[in-house]
Amino acid sequence: MNRALRWGLAALLATGLLVGAVVLAPFSSWLPGGTVADVPLAQVVNGSAFNRLFPAPEAGQQLVFTQEKRGFSEARLKQGGEALALLAISDTRTAPEARAKFEGSRERLQGWPLLEQGAQASALLVADRFQVKVIGQGQGLAADQRHVLLEGFDLPGLAALAPARGRTAAGRLPAGAAGPPPVAAAPGIRNGAYSSESALQEAA
Amino acid sequence: MSPTVLDRLDRLPRRGLTVLALRGIATLVPGGWSNPTNADALIAEVLGDDDPSLVRQVRARADLLSRARHEGYGRALSLYDAVNRSQRASGGLRVLANVTAGLPLLKRIGSITPPSDRLQAADLSLKVGAELLAFTQVNGLPGDSFGDFTAALADYAGDARVRMAALICFDALLPLGNQALERLDGLLGQVSGGELRQLPAYGRLSGLLPGRGDQAHLGFLRRGVESWAGWAGGFIGQLGLTGQRAVQALEGTLGPWQGRMEGLAAFLDAFTDTYAHTGVQAVARRLVERAVAEI
Repeated sequence: MNRALRWGLAALLATGLLVGAVVLAPFSSWLPGGTVADVPLAQVVNGSAFNRLFPAPEAGQQLVFTQEKRGFSEARLKQGGEALALLAISDTRTAPEARAKFEGSRERLQGWPLLEQGAQASALLVADRFQVKVIGQGQGLAADQRHVLLEGFDLPGLAALAPARGRTAAGRLPAGAAGPPPVAAAPGIRNGAYSSESALQEAA
Repeated sequence: MSPTVLDRLDRLPRRGLTVLALRGIATLVPGGWSNPTNADALIAEVLGDDDPSLVRQVRARADLLSRARHEGYGRALSLYDAVNRSQRASGGLRVLANVTAGLPLLKRIGSITPPSDRLQAADLSLKVGAELLAFTQVNGLPGDSFGDFTAALADYAGDARVRMAALICFDALLPLGNQALERLDGLLGQVSGGELRQLPAYGRLSGLLPGRGDQAHLGFLRRGVESWAGWAGGFIGQLGLTGQRAVQALEGTLGPWQGRMEGLAAFLDAFTDTYAHTGVQAVARRLVERAVAEI
């Protein structure tokens, strides 16, 4: 094969790829999504940052980490081989509806909004972004036992993760919405940072 | 659109050979096995509440998570499917070889399928390798230290005790005998790259195994099996598992078996989907545990 032919073939291949990419680009939204709710991974706090914030187990209990993903970390609290509770921290950036449910919450724990979901789950929203959850397993836990576990988390440490990591998104907010009222901040983030994805989020 | 993890759970069989084989093995495992095949019931169990609106929210979240390619739940299932398809194919050939061995014209089929111990060992190592890869796809790398990681692995295996007992009995004790774990490393040492390539599952997994080339993959599989065998040895000792006990347990649900143990292993490989069946259940539980925490 001579040189010109090889170059010709390479050019043909490159044009083919380019044309293929351009033709397929409009269909990209139809392809299955790579990330949850199509939020870019870089905007979600990595689960490894949450691990050190879990409560220390009491004597006779073990804390076994079970899952760690972007924006999520979960552990099981066990006693003598039996699971007592699931403990989890998640970044609500990929689940706006999880954060929205706290808007009606009246209860407070260490100043953060607290909510009960069904008979066995207690949820806390820290720094308007991170959801901390305790779910009783097996025999179940009473509500105040779950609240004690929630208080065992390093909540100030968790709140400290928010501004440092969330600066890119917060920087793009309208000036007025950057302040504390959480209800005003929610639509600000949707319209400002993820306008292109918001339609997809609604669809999801 | 491909079915989500919870759709797959809902479609699992409630009866049939796979379920009977697993029920048989479950009699050897304390705590038994309930064959969860209803996603909403699983959600209600993890959530500790069967409020329909909460269950619906959890399910919607779980479906979203299992469709997201980055989250790995779907990828773990395709690993299990790949191993399962290849197990059925090789099991079918072995059964065929057994059946046709007596017929003069068809003897050649017996000679093209070497169900040798070495291939069986390689097959087991691929299953263990797929299990390790699927674990990291489903659970990430939990905890901050190696100790946390091994604790998470042991916890996952404890969750799926019947699954592990089935893997140990069907793929180690029955085909390789009661000294399977002691023989495993020696057998794997004799496996060549060419023999590994004969296994259909290897073709599907090779792209996902770390390292390049057959030798690197063999090294990874041997290391994986070595760490798994340590855990499995303890499990076997604790439950007192042997090939004979496995056969007895299976006879309790499947009916009497008069052939050799290898024959039973080939039959189970060819006609049951135990690996994918329990795999879907294990992944679904982890997925639901996450979705419950995220709604």
